[in-house]
Amino acid sequence: MAEKVKLFVNGQEVEVEAGKNLIDAFGAIGIEIPHLCYHPALGADGNCRMCLVGIEDGRPPLVPACKTKVAEGMKVQLDAEKIKKIQRDIMELELINHPIDCPICDQAGECKLQDYYMKYDGQPSRMTVKPVLKAKKMDFGCGVVHDQERCVLCARCVRFTRLITKTGELGIVNRTDAARVNIFPGRPLNNRYALNVVDLCPVGAMTSRDFRFKQRAWFLTKSPSICHGCSKGCNIFIDHNREKYKDDVIYRYRPRLNEKVNGYFMCDEGRMTYKLENDNRLGTPRVNGREAGFDEAIESVRRAVSEAKKAVVLISPNASLEQMFAAQQFAAAINAPVSGYSDGYVKAGDGDDFLIKDDKSANRASFALLGIDDSKTAFEAALNGADLLLSFDNDLSRSLSGDALTQLLADTKLIMVASSQTDCVAKAAVAVPVASYSEDAGSLVNCDGRLQSYEVAVVKNQPAKSLIEVLHLCGGEIKSNQEARAGLQAAVAVLKDIDLEQIPAEGIALTESEVAHVAA
Amino acid sequence: MSDRSQLIETGKPFIFDAQRDAEFERLVKRYPTRESMILPSLWLVQEQEGWISAEAMAYIADRIGTFPSMVYEAATFYTMYNLQPKGKYHICVCRTLSCYLLGKQEIVDYLKQELGIKPGEVSADGQFSLEEVECLGHCGSAPVVQVNGEFYEDMNVAKLKELLATLK
Amino acid sequence: MQVQVLSARFDIPDANKIEIAKEHGAYATLDKVFAMQPEEIIEVVKASGLRGRGGAGFPTGLKWSFLPKNIDKPVYLAVNSDESEPATFKDRFILVRDPHMLIEGIIICCYAIKSHAAYIYIRGEYTTQVKVLQAAIDEAYAAGYLGDSVAGHDYKLDVTVHRGAGAYVCGEETALLESIEGRKGQPRSKPPFPAVEGLYGCPTIINNVQSIASLPFILTNGADAYKAYGTEKSPGTHLFGISGLVKKPGMYELPLGLPLLEVIDKVAGGVRDGRTLKGVIPGGSSTPVLTPEEAQTVTLDYESMAAHKTMFGSGGIVVLDDTVDMVKLVENLIYFYHHESCGQCTPCREGLGWMLKIVRKIIRGEGTTADIDLLTELCDNIEMKTVCVLSAACTMSTRSYLNKFRHEFEAYVAGGAPAQAAM
Repeated sequence: MAEKVKLFVNGQEVEVEAGKNLIDAFGAIGIEIPHLCYHPALGADGNCRMCLVGIEDGRPPLVPACKTKVAEGMKVQLDAEKIKKIQRDIMELELINHPIDCPICDQAGECKLQDYYMKYDGQPSRMTVKPVLKAKKMDFGCGVVHDQERCVLCARCVRFTRLITKTGELGIVNRTDAARVNIFPGRPLNNRYALNVVDLCPVGAMTSRDFRFKQRAWFLTKSPSICHGCSKGCNIFIDHNREKYKDDVIYRYRPRLNEKVNGYFMCDEGRMTYKLENDNRLGTPRVNGREAGFDEAIESVRRAVSEAKKAVVLISPNASLEQMFAAQQFAAAINAPVSGYSDGYVKAGDGDDFLIKDDKSANRASFALLGIDDSKTAFEAALNGADLLLSFDNDLSRSLSGDALTQLLADTKLIMVASSQTDCVAKAAVAVPVASYSEDAGSLVNCDGRLQSYEVAVVKNQPAKSLIEVLHLCGGEIKSNQEARAGLQAAVAVLKDIDLEQIPAEGIALTESEVAHVAA
Repeated sequence: MSDRSQLIETGKPFIFDAQRDAEFERLVKRYPTRESMILPSLWLVQEQEGWISAEAMAYIADRIGTFPSMVYEAATFYTMYNLQPKGKYHICVCRTLSCYLLGKQEIVDYLKQELGIKPGEVSADGQFSLEEVECLGHCGSAPVVQVNGEFYEDMNVAKLKELLATLK
Repeated sequence: MQVQVLSARFDIPDANKIEIAKEHGAYATLDKVFAMQPEEIIEVVKASGLRGRGGAGFPTGLKWSFLPKNIDKPVYLAVNSDESEPATFKDRFILVRDPHMLIEGIIICCYAIKSHAAYIYIRGEYTTQVKVLQAAIDEAYAAGYLGDSVAGHDYKLDVTVHRGAGAYVCGEETALLESIEGRKGQPRSKPPFPAVEGLYGCPTIINNVQSIASLPFILTNGADAYKAYGTEKSPGTHLFGISGLVKKPGMYELPLGLPLLEVIDKVAGGVRDGRTLKGVIPGGSSTPVLTPEEAQTVTLDYESMAAHKTMFGSGGIVVLDDTVDMVKLVENLIYFYHHESCGQCTPCREGLGWMLKIVRKIIRGEGTTADIDLLTELCDNIEMKTVCVLSAACTMSTRSYLNKFRHEFEAYVAGGAPAQAAM
């Protein structure tokens, strides 16, 4: 446990974590100190002046809470009329030149200025002179659109590009109330994390070209999940909504704080993978190139399995730990070797030293945990003499060239249980649609050996069956995640003491050696 | 302050001449960080060209090893850096306090009329540019005018007339 | 009334040249200085009672003693020659008439604080002055007073001139440091104070030109000789700049403690013929204005100014006569502070622009009593809510005009016409 200190807020004794500033320490026990410029990942800048508080110990009358560390016995004043007046006054000054365009501003509903106005200000405008006019709708690159008039000059975006990405594309130019955020001519945002400035912006000054004008923030359901864009497993919110008479659709991903994985951020590519969940999905089952009913497709699979001389089961490195286990059990039941071959999911050299990994799959580490071989040699050995290949959402066209795939399919029947339309699906004898991760629940082990879980976020009007259900219908024994988890606990030593139903928000670190440990 | 963020791009690369290059190398040794050379470098560009283009800022950033946005911030923050070409004679009239009390407005009005330009503008023939600036630190001899950096104290319209005659 | 302590060589032709300055005593005290321990020098400066001449009046020797002991980092001296507070033009005389006094002072200070690098931050507008200063520094290097072995002693010192480029706020000491480091002049939050974490993260002393230039006299003649001038709590002399609507404006060296009105009348010749005194700005544009009645009892020292709810500031005295339209004067001042706001803190960045627009609305005859009240209220709402005191410089002065000359604002509101005859 972190060290604690006792101090007084508005005369009342509280206990908070030592070493933190007033904003974070009090925030953790539910006491809000309003602030615009401070952000835990970017440090204290102290420019907005919203967090001024009183300390009764002979210090200057007011101190910025973001720059003030908690100390034993400190007496902090938050509710004095003097402090409330400062908050009102600062809000008034923040708003005099701020366009009141909330009805057309994307930030409405998740805007700090709006929220703080309601909470700390609430006064009518006294502005009777012309406001400062600045530029609007500026293309900052990387899909970021900037509105200088809405900007409160908190410098979060500028600090992000200087401190986090170290690319420094943004600056605040000019001074006084002519100050504004801008890019240097011809040097727009050019980094793979640029869209984080949209999340960091406390107001509607930074918007995402992809998201803007699509949805009002308050209509979105914000479901916690894990990004499947690479093996980092960044924690995200899936923001989705079912509009009247329409289907449940994802509008954006946003990073969700996990200090142990991604902090406050995620990469832009990962952020855009929400589109894969919406678009190009495999909807209708197909049998021998024609659309078929679901039951018919399953029946075709069962028949193919029973008729096969030798079947091979191929599992996606994006499948959950539970799905992998269920597939492994299914393979054992039909006496088929299992492969995780998916070289095509790895983009060598693409990763960086921050969040982006070479491996564009979410759960390859679980292959090791379950003893599933994902090498090409093992895959080729397994295929030797096989006449049926059952792929569970593994898009083999990513790993094999078109010719190699064609050659393979010349004497091997392919069955694809897949969430989206791919080359492989087009070439498969049978294609069975299955739920993708946003519509399913499961556990993943990321590149650093951290076990994390996600829940169902999206519920489609016509929900696809989960992979485990499909496996079961095809003859697998396991019927549900719960059963798979019970089986995993029994089979995998490192999971023995872990309750897979209750993985904490930060996940659980499985040490390197344990990850490498092969299932008993 | 008016917006200074619109930089001019010449379309031509910038480079220090030999003299400024040597001065840069002399000065850079005086500071423990290369970023400290941002202001001195902007001055060197202005000495060389009379004003500072986007290309010159990019050159400074590369030379120092910093982001162009850092140079851009400094160049637009400090108002003495000219971000567009000025007249052959750049006239600055102090507008603050003592100069205000002692008639800077008559001087500005006279210059506006005589040169046909407003503060912030350059005459069509490129001879003159006019600017109202904040306190020049010559309050005891106000009002004061600066032409290309030279101070002219205790100014009035009559003295200004004489001065302009020598410039034309 | 005038004395020649700092200005002793000001009237000597070519005293900016090293050989002339040396003929008249420049650098003569260095052997004595190097024979002393640095701590002894600090004690002498403390004993002299020298107070920072940039405006805040903080005791110079005490400031030096805030440096942490046993430092394993370099210590820097930053000489504040930004001199941008309207009505202030004293340091310019030192830079041009006796730059070697400043350089000698820098050597003394650096030796005392164990620094081997000093930066003189000079405002960009001092175009001709910087050339004189740089020439003097070059001379001092050539003569061995700067460089690897200062005046033949085992002590290294480099002095570098760093030019500002048009930003009043860089007179604020941490903005000045930011500017030397190559950034916008945006003041830093304190703590940490520069004596602990200043330039390049190292302990740094920032002193005004005049403070530093006072050191050769103090070290040559002793603390008592300096204290012989001025008052007990405000010892020494100051280069006062008297400007505005007065017969003989200019820079005058005077001991502290003289009666303000007497100085205006006897030294600067008083208000112009046929005019009466309307007010006095006692120490630069940011100091609250004094009415003639208040000015009666004011003496030119820190304590008397504070007792009259104003400040000694930079010693830049501006005389206002009955032709002055106080509303328009306030417009001029708010314009200045708004123009010079670094744009960092919300209250200053947004608030000063709002104040300017309101006072302009009043001048246009479109104002209401509510606007005068709002202007007054904004002074309170902005003041002391920011990292530095630039906004307070604006609000403290503005408030003084609003309080003491409110009838002029009201006249604009009532009649939509100036309350005073045009100048």
